[in-house]
Amino acid sequence: MLIESMPWLEKLFNSRFWALVQKEINQILRNKQLIILLIFPPTIQLLIYGYALNPDVHNIKLGIVDYAHTNTSRELIAALTKNRIFLDQKYFLREVDLATEVEKGGITAGLIIPPNLSRNMAQDKPTEIQVFIDGVDANQAGIASGYLNQIFSQFNRQLTGNLTPPLINPQAIFLYNPGLRSSWFFVPGVLGVVLTLISSLTSSITVVKEKDLGTLEQLLMTPAIAWEILFAKITPLFILLLGDVVLALSIGKLVFKVPFQGSLFLFFFLSGIYLFVGISIGIMLATLCRTQQQVVLTSFFINLPMIQLSGAIAPIESMPTFFQYISLFDPLRHYVAITRGILLKGVGLEVLFPHAIALVLFAVVLMSISVNRFRSQLS
Amino acid sequence: MQRIFSQCIKELSQFRRNRLTLALAFLLPLMTLIIFGFAIRLEVKNIPLAIQDLDNTPLSRAYIERLFATNKFIAPNEQVQGYKAPEVLIDRGLAKAAIIIPSGFNAQIKNGKASPVQVLIDATDTNNARVINNIIQATTRAFLRSSKIQPILDKIIPKTRIWFNPGRRESLYIVPGVYALILWVYPSLLTAIAMVREKEQGTMLQVYASDLSATELLLGKGLAYLIVAIGQSLCIMIIGAVIWGLKLAGSAMPLIFGTLIFTADAVAFGLLIGVRASNQNAAIQVVSLIGFLTALLLSGFIYPLSNIPFPLSLVSSIVPARYYIDITRDAYVRGTGWAGVWFSFGMLVILGLFLFNMARTGLKKMQLL
Repeated sequence: MLIESMPWLEKLFNSRFWALVQKEINQILRNKQLIILLIFPPTIQLLIYGYALNPDVHNIKLGIVDYAHTNTSRELIAALTKNRIFLDQKYFLREVDLATEVEKGGITAGLIIPPNLSRNMAQDKPTEIQVFIDGVDANQAGIASGYLNQIFSQFNRQLTGNLTPPLINPQAIFLYNPGLRSSWFFVPGVLGVVLTLISSLTSSITVVKEKDLGTLEQLLMTPAIAWEILFAKITPLFILLLGDVVLALSIGKLVFKVPFQGSLFLFFFLSGIYLFVGISIGIMLATLCRTQQQVVLTSFFINLPMIQLSGAIAPIESMPTFFQYISLFDPLRHYVAITRGILLKGVGLEVLFPHAIALVLFAVVLMSISVNRFRSQLS
Repeated sequence: MQRIFSQCIKELSQFRRNRLTLALAFLLPLMTLIIFGFAIRLEVKNIPLAIQDLDNTPLSRAYIERLFATNKFIAPNEQVQGYKAPEVLIDRGLAKAAIIIPSGFNAQIKNGKASPVQVLIDATDTNNARVINNIIQATTRAFLRSSKIQPILDKIIPKTRIWFNPGRRESLYIVPGVYALILWVYPSLLTAIAMVREKEQGTMLQVYASDLSATELLLGKGLAYLIVAIGQSLCIMIIGAVIWGLKLAGSAMPLIFGTLIFTADAVAFGLLIGVRASNQNAAIQVVSLIGFLTALLLSGFIYPLSNIPFPLSLVSSIVPARYYIDITRDAYVRGTGWAGVWFSFGMLVILGLFLFNMARTGLKKMQLL
């Protein structure tokens, strides 16, 4: 195949475009800062996101006031703490002490077992047990109270000796992530975040630098035309950024054991398109700004909403409706849907096509805007 | 003293003249507040739930009705066709969960035997997978009890109350956290830029040559940006109160003093980065990377701090934002006051002194005197 396309290759190697590409490659290889930028921030971000963000609800600090002091009350405490969802942090003698400890934030949940528990048990009467949960963390409180009810109802069945299981028995199967490992949710999302940040930053820096130094005018004096200059800039960067995709993917695979269920080819194809989106955003920023500093600062205005509305960190479905509609105009949202789809769900284009089409549209529109702006600035 | 103030006034007038930094100082915090404050919600409402009822009896239909009566679920846009696998809907993202009721469901239960019901949950979002599972389990128990199919005489009845935030409003949890994020990142960014600009433009050498000491220079610059940061905090807290109806739950004193100290910490962090970084880009990148990562991820802003694993949890214990979040959440939700936050307050003071001292020694090395 290589031999067949030899004349074509030769033409390429002798072209002006290729000369410009070589110039860019040399420049990039000499720029240590850029290489560092391509390797370290993505690695650190992936590791911290993957490890630090964890919605698990376990080891909730439980304060206990046990007025009953019977077998039953101790069994109840054991039932609550045995799955490590609750942790019997501290025992109190009075309710007041328990309440102050919750107010100080020392414990997150409280359990008050009344003195009449044993008498009620003997007379077969129900006993009310007070439980409270610190609602500051609304999400955790909701999940914890769900667990609590589940544990209580199991415990009740044990008490009554009613060993027939509940007649309707919902058996939950967690698809795509059976172990409910939170890193599997965050890593594919953060992969998109990292690519957005790094591709827009590096592309804008390489363009602005030339503007900063005034060498862009010199390039313009040469017979090279605008698109040749621009694409010569993009090509090596694009290849390096693909290297970042590989880097991020291997961190996900090796460190977090994130599965890869779908097609590798499709993943790289769509990632490539997404890189074009990121690169065009960077070039657009570069045409808007005069200095590197301005580029980085204005990129905040674009990157922040892009990341927050993408669903990489908080699910899109729980945003207010208005923000859900806005998020449709966020290319990162579509890319995150694609990475999660391919990595975790293992679905292909038949499911992902709306997102893929959206990405292509974004890439085409943004690229033509930035090329146009670049050209008009040159002339 | 006089020299500190004149340094501060000089800095403020420079700050006012640069339109980009002005925008950065007030527009960006506002945008961040609105986006984070609205878009970060963890609990999904209106979960599309696919149903495959292979039994189709009054009992199974009553059960399904009961599930939808929780108002947590909605029917997906497409229904499961006959005997086809409902996973397809989950694959395509049309449904977040599916319930498969087997044929013979009614007959089994009427005979007093347990009938399994398969629940498929999309676990790409692990947090919501748990929430969905909890809702289904709880609703099933409630259904068994209320429909008198399996009357269970509960011997102990939990009376659960959620304290401080009985409606479980997520904005009460998220917005006070956003304050910490904003007041950490932007004041430190502005300060670091101002510091490095002086170096880049070479005016720093003039300062070195003057008899202004490192401490005086840093205090003067720091004071100027502390004033800007106080302006930012007033601005975002007033707007936050208007949009999300946040009200102080207790005394305002811990919040006021905590905010002062925390913004001073942020400014000190900016000074430190400014002293260390050689150019503005490096400064901005370091502040935005470290600042955002620590304040967003290692501060307990989204998920509980206790879930951060060991080596990282050490890092998180020196992140000032985590202590400030304690203070803001206490001020807006718990309302305990000093008794609950004195430790966080003390940590903020210690970390602030530490950051300032590092910046001072860093600058001293460069000065001749």
